[in-house]
Amino acid sequence: MIAVVAAVIASLVAVLIRWLPESASEEMDRITFVYWFATIISIGIFALVAAVIIEAVWAFRVQPDDDTDGPPIHGNTKLEIAWTIVPAILVISIGVVSAVVLSKNANAGSDPLEVKVFAQQFAWKFEYPGKVQTEELVMPLHRSVKFEMQSADVIHSLWIPQMGQKQDVVPGITTKIVITPTRTGNFTLICTELCGLGHATMRAPVRVLDQAAFKRWLDDQRAAGAGAAAGAGAAAGGGAAAGGASGGQSGGGAAAAGDAALGKTTFASAGCGGCHTFKPAGTDAQVGPDLDNLVADAKKAGEPADQYIEQSIVDPGAVIVSGYQPGVMPTTFGKTLSPAELSGLVAFLSGKEAN
Amino acid sequence: MTSTLDQHSQQDLQHGHPAPRRRGIFMRPGYLRALWVTPLFFLIGMYIVVAIRALAGWDPVYDWEYIVLIAGMVTAPIGFLLGIGAFDYWLYWISGRPTLVDDHANHGAYSWKDYFKVNTDHKVIGIQYLVTTFFFFTVGGFLAMLFRAELAQPGMQFFDTQTFNGLVSAHATLMIFVFIIPAFAGLANFALPLMIGAPDMAFPRLNALSFWMLPVAGTLFLASFLAPGGAFATGWTSYAPLASEQPFGQVFFNMGVQWAGASSIATALNFLVTIITMRAPGMTFWRMPLLVWANFTTSLLVVIATPFIAGSQFFVMFDRVMHTSFFTPDNGGYVLGYQHIFWFYSHPAVYIMVLPGFGIISEIISVFSRKPIFGYRLMAVSLIGILVLAFSVWAHHMFVAGMADWLRIPMMISTLLIAVPTGIKVFSWLATLWEGKIHLNTPMLFALGFISTFVIGGLSGVYLAAVPIDIHASDTYFIVAHIHYVLFGGSVFTIFAGLYYWFPKMTGRMYDERLGKLHFWTTFVAFNVTFFPMHWVGLDGMPRRVADYAGTYGALNMVISIASFVLGASVVVFAYNMITSWARGPIAGSNPWRAMTIEWQVSSPPPVFNFDEIPQVVGGPYEYGVPGARHAVLKGGALQEAHT
Repeated sequence: MIAVVAAVIASLVAVLIRWLPESASEEMDRITFVYWFATIISIGIFALVAAVIIEAVWAFRVQPDDDTDGPPIHGNTKLEIAWTIVPAILVISIGVVSAVVLSKNANAGSDPLEVKVFAQQFAWKFEYPGKVQTEELVMPLHRSVKFEMQSADVIHSLWIPQMGQKQDVVPGITTKIVITPTRTGNFTLICTELCGLGHATMRAPVRVLDQAAFKRWLDDQRAAGAGAAAGAGAAAGGGAAAGGASGGQSGGGAAAAGDAALGKTTFASAGCGGCHTFKPAGTDAQVGPDLDNLVADAKKAGEPADQYIEQSIVDPGAVIVSGYQPGVMPTTFGKTLSPAELSGLVAFLSGKEAN
Repeated sequence: MTSTLDQHSQQDLQHGHPAPRRRGIFMRPGYLRALWVTPLFFLIGMYIVVAIRALAGWDPVYDWEYIVLIAGMVTAPIGFLLGIGAFDYWLYWISGRPTLVDDHANHGAYSWKDYFKVNTDHKVIGIQYLVTTFFFFTVGGFLAMLFRAELAQPGMQFFDTQTFNGLVSAHATLMIFVFIIPAFAGLANFALPLMIGAPDMAFPRLNALSFWMLPVAGTLFLASFLAPGGAFATGWTSYAPLASEQPFGQVFFNMGVQWAGASSIATALNFLVTIITMRAPGMTFWRMPLLVWANFTTSLLVVIATPFIAGSQFFVMFDRVMHTSFFTPDNGGYVLGYQHIFWFYSHPAVYIMVLPGFGIISEIISVFSRKPIFGYRLMAVSLIGILVLAFSVWAHHMFVAGMADWLRIPMMISTLLIAVPTGIKVFSWLATLWEGKIHLNTPMLFALGFISTFVIGGLSGVYLAAVPIDIHASDTYFIVAHIHYVLFGGSVFTIFAGLYYWFPKMTGRMYDERLGKLHFWTTFVAFNVTFFPMHWVGLDGMPRRVADYAGTYGALNMVISIASFVLGASVVVFAYNMITSWARGPIAGSNPWRAMTIEWQVSSPPPVFNFDEIPQVVGGPYEYGVPGARHAVLKGGALQEAHT
């Protein structure tokens, strides 16, 4: 009787609350199946245990002054064998179901879309076939996407909750994961492995488009990407042509503007906004110093603004703005940013408007 | 009869030198000596570093990070231990100078002050452990409430993210390394020698040293908050390569773990030798109480596994301070190697933190049901089963880590199988309750609360063992819920149960039963309201270790935070009950629970050397309801069994 009540309560808790997010991938559909398989077994076991405890306390509780002992029962071999064998069978069955699902979820099928993922503190970057790089993840409906992932600094982890699949992104090795979206819409990709102070905000937007729309999007990106790459090349060339340390200033208005435009995209892709406020980029995070005050900070440090900014990106420990701690900002940007990106970032941050 | 004085002079004659002279107040073991030896050792460490840097021509010569690391975390703590007298006897012995002839000069506590000195009495050390660990428990709980305040609403309110990560990391580290693991060592320290009929632990001075390394570890963890850049902020798992790039506070974790680990290993060796060699006559392995069995298996786990975490923390620290690349991707380092080594300790550590609790619960369920433990032998064998399986499941923490794919299935199977011996224990406790004469005192309430919450923690463990579910739930609040159902609903409930159970034996006084029940019910309700919703927010998409989260989880997080404050308040009830009852509770008598195990057959608190004569064990420890059955026969000054 009590067992039935406990089972009903446990089942209601299990069924009424929407435990898992609404699935958006084939892999999540299968994970949901394993989840319910384990849940049914668990409800049975929990109900049994809860019922026995409640019933025992109900039926066998005695007054504090009752000094008698219970019956000297030392065991029962058949019962003990039963509660060794039955749970073993149950957990093995969960194991078999899990193994089948695992192998299905790792299978990308015959025609997967291959997307490279680059993670670094505290930003995501995605590369589609044809060297198209984006900061948003766009996936085609009903086509498996096979991710190959690399990290530039520490361990990150890729997870889109509605799609279930998760995989760490580990520096030094390439890790893989497969996701097959089953509904269109907007989602969020989040980092789930503690990666430093910007971890909580290391997210990226995700869109699932139907296959025609995805193809259009990818073609647009390819066209735009070619243009941007040409622009960046021209900007770098302009800076180089001007030559010397004063390239940014003497290179003329056109080169500086090209730099700053690249700087603006670099600011977003390198994840600067995860920690810094900078009004031109529309960010308002407060982990690190407010970059709107960069020129004033440079004066305080007694250095030219451009030099101060570049040094603070490449070697963030060199000058610490009062009220902030050393050793917080990643020291890897000198390695991960290209010279063009770096000079662009300096131009953008020193207030040369990107137009 | 020879007096003590005569013994002294006889011994002196044998050894051929006089007894040590009484020393001045600054030379005697104690805090005054520690007050000058500790800074002296700091200076020694400091100038070792400075001398090496000067000789090598490195700039700057006074590099404070290295000075704090060597002088502050290695030599100064050694100076402190030396100052308070943890090494005195050994140093006298090594240097051939006269030792105190009475080996047990530091036995027994005669005033509260004795609890603050180096003491070799296992009962005093047990209480020292428990009070110290309870202090770190309250500090760790306080840190948890700070970050629960931050998490009550989405967005950032009180702390920046680095401070938040530091609070989370320090909370977990304090709770695991200087509360749960040593709290069990404290309970066993007090109870275990009494239960096997031994006069003390096998190595009383090592026992004292083990204890005094703990405050060092805890102080290092807390001192990290003073480091530039804040406390270590990489979680208690401290994954490489993040850990070798973080601010200096990280090193406090690397080194604190060494001190806690050394303490843990020494204690475990002590338990093993004590259990193997010092059981009373007639105490065969199959007559040992299950608490002894539990600590036997736990100690084996500690001795085998703990060196792995020591190694992992040394290497990850070397990557930082010596620019090696054990766990960095360049120069041939192996990033995932850190996780393999870390979890090779830290998964068995989960059992280190729960097997002693199983032992405590077995004692309590049997005594308060007035029935023998159901299936005693299978209970002991299942502990061994967990011990063996515990070493074959570590990589289930790494299903999404990028390790070799083929490793997932075997790790899943072994993880699922560990549910079988655990299930045996739960079902056997339930069968012990059945048809018993159940007394619902506070220890029993905590024991029953433990079974119900631990079953939830065990079942969510089965979910996480299943690789596809783990891939979804890994690194989310589901994990946070699971670990707290296992370590709070599991370990902490059993620690509370054990504290209430042995409180009358430790102090000779009875705690307040009304307050005990109030403590249980507030803890039980607040615990479930705090941690059960975390399963939900986690599966729905909230990752762990984040200071900020999506607004949709705001309402549930508010509920969780409020419940966590109630949980914190319940600890105040417990502390008040313990302190006031210790001072002026009613006298308890030697055996208030009418238990059969040996610790209850001596006075409360027990005599300094436990037994006037070593007891003779004549039967099993749980023969309740068997007419005329005895577990042990005690002669001499020890009290006879209380019940007739």
